[in-house]
Amino acid sequence: MTAPGFTFPYFHNYPPYFTLQPVKETRDKQIALWGSLVLTYCQHTKTFILDSQAPSPLFVNDAINRKLNTEARIAVLDDLVAQGRAEWLDKSKRQCLILWKRIDEWVAVLLDFVRTYGLSDSVMTLDELSSGDDVRGTDLYGLHHEVLQRMLRVLEAQGKVRTFKGETPGELGIKFV
Amino acid sequence: MRRGPGIAGLQHAVRQKEQFKAAGEEVKKNTLQALQEQLVAFRSSLEEFARRHRSEVRSDPVFRAQFHAMCASVGVDPLSSSKSLWASALGLGDYYYELGVQVVEACLASRSLNGGLMELGALQRAVARRRGTSAEPVSQDDVVRAIKKLRVLGGGFELLSIGGRSFVRSVPGELNTDKNTAIEAAGSRGFTSVPELSVAKGWPQGRAESVLQALTLEGLAWVDDGAPDRVRLYWFPCLGGAAQEAA
Repeated sequence: MTAPGFTFPYFHNYPPYFTLQPVKETRDKQIALWGSLVLTYCQHTKTFILDSQAPSPLFVNDAINRKLNTEARIAVLDDLVAQGRAEWLDKSKRQCLILWKRIDEWVAVLLDFVRTYGLSDSVMTLDELSSGDDVRGTDLYGLHHEVLQRMLRVLEAQGKVRTFKGETPGELGIKFV
Repeated sequence: MRRGPGIAGLQHAVRQKEQFKAAGEEVKKNTLQALQEQLVAFRSSLEEFARRHRSEVRSDPVFRAQFHAMCASVGVDPLSSSKSLWASALGLGDYYYELGVQVVEACLASRSLNGGLMELGALQRAVARRRGTSAEPVSQDDVVRAIKKLRVLGGGFELLSIGGRSFVRSVPGELNTDKNTAIEAAGSRGFTSVPELSVAKGWPQGRAESVLQALTLEGLAWVDDGAPDRVRLYWFPCLGGAAQEAA
């Protein structure tokens, strides 16, 4: 996975940032910088699920021969989870859902889309919402089902959508009320 | 005709002495007066000069440094008080107060990255970035002056020189000779290690190790375990590299 057009911040070229710092104040700053890099990088590459052990250029800089080890990656992602900007999808902390937009921000994008295209009262499937022709060219295109399902839970609780089971999870029907 | 040492002769000598003294005092008074007049004239023409060149003094760092040098050579301090005529003529007092605030901000913003030790050039660039591109340029001389004004506040801002480079320290605390030596050994590469430092300075390993650990605790050094030979490197963000550009 490469990232054309993405400019890494200054610290990505500075070797000590790839070692988890032993002093707390320094480490806090280090983790905060890495956390915001994870968010901007995932937004740029439209990455929703980050594999904490994959050799992503996010965590590896071959030019200076440094890579962030698993312990440090997990520390960075744990911090994002604590801020509500990420969620672990497994107990072994390998797959991490990255919320470069928070769920409520995504909900706002979806409601805006529904209003703009006059889709109230119509029914769409989960697949159509994330990869159908209607969403092509919008922020919703390519939206991961894990995110969509979390959004629907919020919207259902607010009574703004009704869902109908389909034959496959992707065919879940959604009616905007 | 020879006049003997009579009463008249003695009186004459006393009179003569008094006359000389009076004449001397007259001359002294005149010189002092002339000097005072000259000083007043000089002062007013310096003020006149300052007023006329106010914009240059404010906008051109080189000119400002020369102006400061000129003032220093005649014993005038245009920064001594914001209430002085100088401040009102030049507005320099405010200028350095404002710069001082920006220096403090730049130092605080980068403190967790560099442990409060910042190279003067990097601080100058950070301050310039804070002022924005449209602001008048700031020279290192200006930054140094602003830091000297900050001392009044007792905030522990100090200038120090390590290995021929100037640094600004924004957290109170002493850099002992060993710490200075370690930072100096890291030099322009920006890092060193326990074995390297002990060989270079002829120190036992333990001495090098304790110095580098102390520097790490203070946030002045960052450890790096990613080197190919697995020897832990200690990097100094204040020596350059990427970290200081964050401020």
